[in-house]
Amino acid sequence: MANVTRGALLDRLMRPVHQWVWADPDRRLRKLLTFAEVETDGGRDILRAAEVTPDPLLRRLYLEHAIDELHHGDLFRERGTALHRARRTRRRVILNGHPLPGGHGLDDLSIDGEPDHRLLAFLHVAEKAAAGRFAIYRELVDDDPRTRSIFEEILRDEVFHMNYTYTQLTRVSPQGYRHHVWHARARRLWNRYLRAAAAMAGLLGNAMLTAMYFSVLPPFAWLAKRAEQRERTGWRPIARERQTSPRSQY
Amino acid sequence: MNILGISAHYHDSAAALVVDGVLVCAVQEERLSRRKNDAAFPVKAIGWCLDHEHIEPGDLDAVVFYERSMLKFERILTCALRAFPRSWRSFPHAIKNTLGEKAWVRGIISAHMDMPRDRILFTDHHASHAAAAFLTAPTRRAAILTADGVGEWATLTTGKGERRPDGRADITLRREIRFPHSLGMLYSTFTAYLGFTVNEDEYKVMGLAAYGRPTLVERVRKLIRRLPDGSFALVPEFFEFQTTAECSYSSKFLDLFGPARHRYDPLDLESPEGLRFADCAASVQRVVEDILVDIASRLHRETGLPDLCFGGGVALNGVANARILAESGFERVFVPPAPGDAGCALGAALYADRIYFHNPDREIPDHPFWGPAVDAGVLARAAHEDGQAVEECDDARLIGRIAGDLAADRLVGWMDGACEFGPRALGHRSILAAPHGIAVRDRLNRDIKRREEFRPFAPVVPIEVADRFFDVPRGGARLARYMSGVFPVRREWRSRLAAVTHVDGSARVQVLEREMAPRLHTLLEEYGRRTGVPVLLNTSFNVAGEPIVTDALEGYTTFRRCGIDVLVAGRTVVTKRAAALKEAEEWSSNSEAASTVG
Repeated sequence: MANVTRGALLDRLMRPVHQWVWADPDRRLRKLLTFAEVETDGGRDILRAAEVTPDPLLRRLYLEHAIDELHHGDLFRERGTALHRARRTRRRVILNGHPLPGGHGLDDLSIDGEPDHRLLAFLHVAEKAAAGRFAIYRELVDDDPRTRSIFEEILRDEVFHMNYTYTQLTRVSPQGYRHHVWHARARRLWNRYLRAAAAMAGLLGNAMLTAMYFSVLPPFAWLAKRAEQRERTGWRPIARERQTSPRSQY
Repeated sequence: MNILGISAHYHDSAAALVVDGVLVCAVQEERLSRRKNDAAFPVKAIGWCLDHEHIEPGDLDAVVFYERSMLKFERILTCALRAFPRSWRSFPHAIKNTLGEKAWVRGIISAHMDMPRDRILFTDHHASHAAAAFLTAPTRRAAILTADGVGEWATLTTGKGERRPDGRADITLRREIRFPHSLGMLYSTFTAYLGFTVNEDEYKVMGLAAYGRPTLVERVRKLIRRLPDGSFALVPEFFEFQTTAECSYSSKFLDLFGPARHRYDPLDLESPEGLRFADCAASVQRVVEDILVDIASRLHRETGLPDLCFGGGVALNGVANARILAESGFERVFVPPAPGDAGCALGAALYADRIYFHNPDREIPDHPFWGPAVDAGVLARAAHEDGQAVEECDDARLIGRIAGDLAADRLVGWMDGACEFGPRALGHRSILAAPHGIAVRDRLNRDIKRREEFRPFAPVVPIEVADRFFDVPRGGARLARYMSGVFPVRREWRSRLAAVTHVDGSARVQVLEREMAPRLHTLLEEYGRRTGVPVLLNTSFNVAGEPIVTDALEGYTTFRRCGIDVLVAGRTVVTKRAAALKEAEEWSSNSEAASTVG
């Protein structure tokens, strides 16, 4: 527990970045609301695991776990909402749309068809990482006792989740549990790489398409605007042949 | 002939299977993936439909996609060009989004299902809506009206459908109004402005409208011009949805209506700000109703037909539907149980069967229960393993027992047979409660649904006595069959039906015929014998943010973590034990503290 609550090495190295995030009220608010979404989605995924596992004990434990995660989502949402309401000046960028992009729930994990040992190993690694990070966040919000107490409460739950997933993993896979944990770590790393690569590819794609937008599109835009001026509003007849053309995507 | 219809990629994807002209099964992807409004290609729904009929993809004669994806891409590209250079931010996103997957539907279907490409067909989006509305309705000839946000280009179409004496069916859509002029987009813009989620929370705007007065109607009319031919046109400077996906209203819109509500802002209906939002909702609701009634009236005069089939997402607006029935001249209005995009999967399959392949028309069973069935044995086993109190009862005992529970103000999770296709719980995946006191309503809101207080709950009543409690006009029972109309609760019953009577004295009532859900019908009668009021509160069996439950275990986990007292699946009854009850209460009280809006 002591080891966990110190945070992972990477998170400790990233502490200045975390500090930068939590020191700013807008970023703090955004982070809390993001956590609310992620915890709620994660809770729903674990709930799904409770519905599909054939193991009655795991069903009960997953259900408890899911209830905890959904509750964490509520705590974060409640706190984020309270901070949002308390703020008088708002930066537009924060208050439009979803707080932050991110994967759905458990790292885009597909619960259906996932064997229990893989899910338990994944949950164990994820909970351990979350516990370490939340331990650091708890220290960074010393100026905000309510938020700190939320992290404390969640941290206690995360440690329980970390422990039960490991205990159950050793039960369902007494021979290969270590291997499963390493495999889960590797998979998590791979997912992070994929996410970073996708983000990078997205940025590059955006840059190329924006360049194309300003270089290639202007004459077509001019034509489209001219055509629009000639277009009449109101009812338009529908050509009969369009309705009876089954193979055309146009 | 086996024909699979698919809708996907925008919201609420689904699959439906038609065998020899008859619908045999249909399900939304969200019910199987457990992700609300899942828009992904419906792999699970397709798999379930094929398994259900024990057929392989190779046995399908056609797979029909519900819209023409390239035509949609053309619209997206054209709108980006027309909005140049203001569309520079949204352009990369729109192109990546469309060219990344959505435009290549034929290839996606072919790859997923190993289908020859020549068996993959397409229909117009609004033709799918029209087919879902007309070909499932028990009528020989009807006018057809479809309205939604947007399909390919069309946002609203009119036409007519006919079942000919030679057994063939015909659908002719004659006219359309094209994007960006859209009643659905107008309503969705207000949905976003009021801080709700577009394509999901439009019904909250309808619920909120009852708290306001339409004092801003003239301002809303500045956004939408009526044209001499009876159509309408949105005034572009008030909208941004054609240039960006981030915000659908412009600064001019804000100048007209004031600051928008943020989703995390409280909606206090006793404050001037809250009332302003309610007035906005009431005003846009009134304007949309007026336009729909006018278009429907013209359509009635033009066709001279007594029946109207109404499809598209706008047809989910029960208040507008009731006004169309009352004022347009149509004697009956048919709205299918899934009028939105999910229902297009069914519409596309039926359209291909009747129109493309010229197969003879066959009657579609008039019920909404086309999804996976509940397995009571699975519930009994899970509850036993969990140490819950499980009983197996015969029907008579079960009905008596549940009626008693309901009369004692217990909340009952009710699962029976196949699940509904469409957004409404119509008696097979419902949470039932006594309709009398607002305490029950508040408990449902607080402990289970965790939703805004202004949103009403719906009642269900046997058709034989509906008129005693609700002012259902002639033809209204048809609309109320699938909860598609909002009608007044009779004044003398409002105090005894407080949990299901909205602030304006109305209710989105479900009028139930015995043949559609016999066990629920019997339960209503038994409840009526005990309390004198054969009406129950009927709300969908889910928790906020989750799809309606499909199988027994989903019902069970929902039952375990929220304040439902009794769970029924088939003949199995599970009663919450004290310890589990306490746990659920703790969860509920935690949740209560954290409920967001309002």
